[in-house]
Amino acid sequence: MQKTAETAKPIYFWYELLSGGMDNLERYRDIVPDYEAFKAIQSRPLPGSCRINTLKIERDALLGRLEEKGVLCRAFDWYPLGLKLDIESPGKMVENLLGYIHVQEELSMVPPLVLDPQPGETVLDLCASPGSKTTQISQMMNNRGLVIANEPSLDRVAPLRANCERLGVLNVAITRYDGRIFPRGPFDRILVDAPCSSEGRERRGPGTISRSSRTKSLELQKLQIRLLQNAVRLAKPGGVVVYSTCTYAPEENELVVNAVLDEVRLEEISLPGLIGCPGVNQWSGETLSDDLLRCARYYPHQNDTGGFFVARLIKN
Amino acid sequence: MSPGSSRTRTRNVFEPLSASEVAQPWQSRFGIPEDVFSGYQFFRKAKSIWAISDAPLPRLSFESLGMRIMNIKDRPWKPTTCALQVFGKYATRNLVHLDEEQARLFLEGGTQVIGPDMKLDLAPESAFDPEPASDSASYQAFDLASDQASDPVSGPMPGYVVVFYRGEVLGCGLYSHGKLISQIPKERRAGEQPGR
Repeated sequence: MQKTAETAKPIYFWYELLSGGMDNLERYRDIVPDYEAFKAIQSRPLPGSCRINTLKIERDALLGRLEEKGVLCRAFDWYPLGLKLDIESPGKMVENLLGYIHVQEELSMVPPLVLDPQPGETVLDLCASPGSKTTQISQMMNNRGLVIANEPSLDRVAPLRANCERLGVLNVAITRYDGRIFPRGPFDRILVDAPCSSEGRERRGPGTISRSSRTKSLELQKLQIRLLQNAVRLAKPGGVVVYSTCTYAPEENELVVNAVLDEVRLEEISLPGLIGCPGVNQWSGETLSDDLLRCARYYPHQNDTGGFFVARLIKN
Repeated sequence: MSPGSSRTRTRNVFEPLSASEVAQPWQSRFGIPEDVFSGYQFFRKAKSIWAISDAPLPRLSFESLGMRIMNIKDRPWKPTTCALQVFGKYATRNLVHLDEEQARLFLEGGTQVIGPDMKLDLAPESAFDPEPASDSASYQAFDLASDQASDPVSGPMPGYVVVFYRGEVLGCGLYSHGKLISQIPKERRAGEQPGR
């Protein structure tokens, strides 16, 4: 699971060089529990993980294959189809090439579970590429119904398509609209996994935190609010909209959700086995609605993962 | 819209096809029962056939519709590896079963000689015309009757085959003159770095 000291050292070196310390995290000191542990874990590489693709293989059959190969793995406490893998390059495994597994960060499997899509429904994934969550949604729908995977960037459509094809996905159609003006619904469920400052990915790509700032977050917030507003517009009354990011900045999280609170109600998120924190309702001297406490924040030091923010909204 | 009505078109739009039009060539080449293809809707765009779940499609401009399952650019039509990984398990002919070493080579994208002792199930009646279609400038008709040779031949003839290892479909191979040429797409070959 852990890389050896020899391999971890250069990563730490680069991280030190690029980040100039973890100064940009300092503003989260008051909202993150056990802040020092949070700061310390940023330089530790992320354990490998994957999702079992039940569109192509049953869980027991896949576990049997891994055992036969001597690959050590452990299912997540909170999701039986998620596995921690003790292997250098899981992407090179035959099981990955054949689409039996999808290499995916542990917390990236949270938003589809919170979305909870059902077979036969019509679902929109507004910011889809590279399709880890799209394909998980497809699998949860058992390849039935319809998932519209939207990705405006042509360059990013190729990996999205490749992942769908490799994983045997047959219920996903890809569109290329600007998510802010995606034209029409209605959809039963919509995932807005928004572009963000990606602070929660520091353990995968050291340097993201050093590049983050409140100013950048406020820039991104404009886009994020418009994406979420459009998603709420496109959802059926009573439909589910899930907003997620892989960042800690409340400007990109609670303050985005805050912008649509008049049109939705927030639902509590509970994934037994995964330690989460409530959303924040106090930030930068501003007091926000208590409803925002129903959002969920996941920090890297609490589950040995990356970082994520998720909110589940029900359209009025 | 029937395939006949669009025979001369080159438009780059998704045009619906009936399930039986699509299922029939899979039945004739691989013996896959037609009902395997029920529950999907099919579209042709340029030289490709796509399959997607049979849910109603909203009025949107689509980049892709489900999975690209067939390439009809050349004759004979070519099944995609991803489609064979879904539908190939129902094949009853034009199959190749590989051993461990052969499977490894196949997944790396290699070409290998398949000896007469190989477990090869090639149906002579579904051998095809090895000459590619000549009129590539015009829109190639989705004319499947011509993919099936009318003359019975003795011994295996070139053609696309479903490649198996330990009962699982690995993908599409081209069997030609005693050789099996892997058709696994580059990005999914063993030993190459797949995309994230």
